[in-house]
Amino acid sequence: MKRMNWLGLGFLAPALLVIALFFLAPVIMTGFFAFTNMSTATGITGGDYMLNKSALRALGDAGLPDATLEKLEDAGYAVDEKGLAALAAQIDQETADEFARLHGGESFATRRDVERALKDLRQNRIRKTRDRKAAAELFKRSVLNERFGTEAEFRAALTAGGIAPRDHDQITAQAYTGWVWTTENVELLFTLPSTWRYAANTAIYVAFTLSFNVGFGLFLAISTFYLPAAQAATFRAIWFLPRILPPVLYVLMWKWFTWDTGFLSTVTGWFGMSPKNWMLDSPTHAWTTIVLINGFVGASMGMILFASAIRAIPASMLHASEVDGANRWQQVRYIILPQLRWPILFTTAYQTLSLLTSFEYILLATDGGPGRATEVWALAAYHTALNNYGGNLQYGLGAAFALVLVIIGILASLFYLRLFNFRQLVGKPLIEG
Amino acid sequence: MQLDLIGFTKRFDGTPVVSGMDLSVASGEMIALLGPSGCGKSTTLFAICGIHRIDEGRLMFGERDVSGLPSQRRNVGVVFQNYALYPHMSVFDNIAFPLKVQKADKDQIRRRVGEMAELVHIETLLDRRPAQLSGGQQQRVALARALVRNPDVLLLDEPLANLDAKLRLEMRSEIRRIQQETGLTAILVTHDQVEAMSMCDRIALMNNGRIVQIDGPTRMYRDPMDKFVASFLGNPPISFVTPEDLPCFGAPKACAEIGLRPEHVGPQFGTGLTGEVRFVETQGREDLFDIALPSGRMIRSVQPAGSGLRPGQTVDWGYDAAELLCFDRQEVRL
Amino acid sequence: MRHNYRNWPILLVLGIFSTPLLIMLVFQVVDSFTLKQPGSLIPSGFTLEHFRFLWEELDTGRAGIWRVTLNTFIFATTTATVVTAIALTAGYALSRLNFPARGFFLAGLIVLHAFPTVTLIIAIFLILQILGLYDTLIGVIIVKTALELPFGIWIMKGFYDTVPWEIEMAGVQDGASRLRVWWQLVLPQVQPGLMAILIFSFLSGWSEFILPLVLAPGSDAQVLATYMQALILDDTKADFDLFKAVGLFYALPVVVIYVIFQNKLMNIYGGGSKG
Ligand SMILES: Nc1ncnc2c1ncn2[C@@H]1O[C@H](COP(=O)(O)OP(=O)(O)OP(=O)(O)O)[C@@H](O)[C@H]1O
Ligand SMILES: [Mg+2]
Repeated sequence: MKRMNWLGLGFLAPALLVIALFFLAPVIMTGFFAFTNMSTATGITGGDYMLNKSALRALGDAGLPDATLEKLEDAGYAVDEKGLAALAAQIDQETADEFARLHGGESFATRRDVERALKDLRQNRIRKTRDRKAAAELFKRSVLNERFGTEAEFRAALTAGGIAPRDHDQITAQAYTGWVWTTENVELLFTLPSTWRYAANTAIYVAFTLSFNVGFGLFLAISTFYLPAAQAATFRAIWFLPRILPPVLYVLMWKWFTWDTGFLSTVTGWFGMSPKNWMLDSPTHAWTTIVLINGFVGASMGMILFASAIRAIPASMLHASEVDGANRWQQVRYIILPQLRWPILFTTAYQTLSLLTSFEYILLATDGGPGRATEVWALAAYHTALNNYGGNLQYGLGAAFALVLVIIGILASLFYLRLFNFRQLVGKPLIEG
Repeated sequence: MQLDLIGFTKRFDGTPVVSGMDLSVASGEMIALLGPSGCGKSTTLFAICGIHRIDEGRLMFGERDVSGLPSQRRNVGVVFQNYALYPHMSVFDNIAFPLKVQKADKDQIRRRVGEMAELVHIETLLDRRPAQLSGGQQQRVALARALVRNPDVLLLDEPLANLDAKLRLEMRSEIRRIQQETGLTAILVTHDQVEAMSMCDRIALMNNGRIVQIDGPTRMYRDPMDKFVASFLGNPPISFVTPEDLPCFGAPKACAEIGLRPEHVGPQFGTGLTGEVRFVETQGREDLFDIALPSGRMIRSVQPAGSGLRPGQTVDWGYDAAELLCFDRQEVRL
Repeated sequence: MRHNYRNWPILLVLGIFSTPLLIMLVFQVVDSFTLKQPGSLIPSGFTLEHFRFLWEELDTGRAGIWRVTLNTFIFATTTATVVTAIALTAGYALSRLNFPARGFFLAGLIVLHAFPTVTLIIAIFLILQILGLYDTLIGVIIVKTALELPFGIWIMKGFYDTVPWEIEMAGVQDGASRLRVWWQLVLPQVQPGLMAILIFSFLSGWSEFILPLVLAPGSDAQVLATYMQALILDDTKADFDLFKAVGLFYALPVVVIYVIFQNKLMNIYGGGSKG
């Protein structure tokens, strides 16, 4: 008995490990990331401490006294290693050496003082006023625009700059460049008008594609059922291809079909119409193409499931209905369709979820265009977090988008658990071990 | 309605399964299609109701040639072996279905279904689903559905095969009653000879895709055309011996084999047939004896129970010479 | 087929619906090998020029086709092997072995099976960055394996479920250990399942686009899907004949496998994967 337990768990262990790491962890992490402000700017590991102009402005808005702000911005001039190195680079090494000899370690209150000191150099006087100004600027020491690796260093710099300790916390928080916890993303989701637009797009996408998938899948299954075996197999094979072909290639075929040099434009050209991109020239066309692209793929799943369900109907029942006088439409309507209720329900439930969350074909076909007309929720999550033209990838906000889908996904999967007859699956092993 | 099947041939993938079959069923007659498994009974039935195409030959319902018509327009009622009730419909809807697809009006449907339910005694079951019915009840629903359209012909494909022994007895007489009440021309497919003999006016015995003999049950039992018919009918089956085994019987010259039915062998027919009892099967009312003749051939005999004979004992019995069946080398009856 | 009904109306309607798809498929092949005048659909001559990407570099910024093909092959085969290996044991455990919380794991499997994995891509992207596996082939392989596993285990469990218990009982009665029973008696019975998962995950890996796109965008880990898409997006003037030739090259293994294993594949896709 005991040994058996270990064998079972041992057999399961590799699967559990991989799934926990790259399946369950991401689910949980999506929840975490959704409540951070992670982005390209903040990075995803820790951050630095740095004040810049806009941070100062924010601090000012937050009520920090002007005097403190000025101190932060202007902490005087110091002749130190760093400044000298910069000087050597900008002017030359000798100048820097001499300046170090005369004034190394000194501090000056204003730039005028530094300029004077530079002007007074004996061997290597800097003659041009403009050069002196620039050189003096190299010794300006300010907390502003300087990067500090740790919080302690930053606070030390603040102290050195004479900032009152009571302001340190506020300034430090503002200066932190890494990510922080926030509920901003969720608030954004509910306030941005584009969010609702994406939700509406998703609803359109799912509703139309799903109807097409199920309807056309039914049509394929039923019509091939009425054909001789060889013809039926041929049509099924053709309609299975969209599913089996790599998406990139499959969408390429559609692109060619609708491109302004492609099939549709060429054919309509024969009738004098000017060529255009049939996929992207209007939102209606874009939606139609998207629904068809997904529908041709999705219909094959319905086709297979429905076809095997139809095959499971006893032949004598179909014979009986024919003898009873049913024409084909009546046979479909009264005998076949009622017995497909369960597979239809299953397909609908399954595809609703996968359509809600899938964006591969849309990404490949229209990439959300034209404009944002076909941007669905999942694609918006992808664009926000992983690929946008602005270049600042907002991981946190994207994760918030994804979190909504993850939650829907979990709820829906739990619902399927009830749809599947669960107890039947858990039938106890017959060898008790 | 008279039914005539003329020169019917059916091939599957080129191999003929039924070849050149002629069958004619008189109006109001019930005929049994009887034969061993795979002889083409269902094939014939399906061809009559239009599920299989008729490759060659003609099918006439009265004066009407229906060979080329689809099932829908033949107006036949069929009871399938597994009943083929529509599981998602109530009993009422099942019976109403043939009328519904004809777009009959509601009142008429209700009246007709009511009549049928009464005829087959299922008035109280109309709201149930087929899954909630017993086998016998399903059978009655299937009958009602087959009859509801007033079909020209009623076809039954092994309708009793799925019932237990007691129900089978009951449904046998039910089906016969209903057929006679409605006066329908009916064809019953079965491989059970008792069923065929007890239910039908005539029997068409099939073998290898052909009809071997068509006759009334008694006639066919007593007067078989060949060895196949003789051996197929009768339970316990007939035994075959050679003329040498029955030296006292003046067999015709061409006679190669003689058939002896078990009820025609026994002490009540005198003596002259000696042999050793090999096996005794007790059947309650009767005992069945397997007896080895001196030549080694076995014959069977049925005797009223209580003879006390045991295996190993030797008996000297007689046979009913008037009932012997002689066959020539081609197994044709002399 | 039912002879009580006529065929031709069905053939007609099906044919009409299938025309666009057939046009796309036919021209996909024809255009790869032929020359055409602009604005015409009729080929004017045979050529292999569209396949030039096989023997010359298309542009310098991109990894060569053979390198990319090798990547794709490694990606697909590794994923397929690992998924199959893990599903083989896990499926057996879930189907036949007794262990604590078995019901929970089964429920979990169904939930995972139905769960839409693409929603996790952002979190996975960040996790890979943290782990330092971002932009490596191995990272994408691990992720693909994990995401493909629930489906594989599900199918494999189904195959194990059909093996008669009597076989195992007999084995155990004969004194073999459960491990040995599994290895010597049960595994041979589920070979079709093993093949099915192997083929299925290979195809799934070969066609995968989103994962490599997001998790390994660099040129070292490029696979054919991302290679082809980059090619399509790069070109200012779309050279569809070239794209189609690349596509044909890309799809060749898929088509071959499809032709050989058509029925098997239809059955397993019936188990449901992409919508
Ligand atoms: N659809 C078919 N395709 C090919 N051969 C068939 C088909 N249907 C029946 N057959 C063959 O035709 C022969 C007759 O079959 P049929 O079903 O008529 O037998 P049957 O007399 O009804 O037997 P049973 O008593 O077992 O039902 C059999 O040899 C069978 O194998
Ligand atoms: Mg039969």
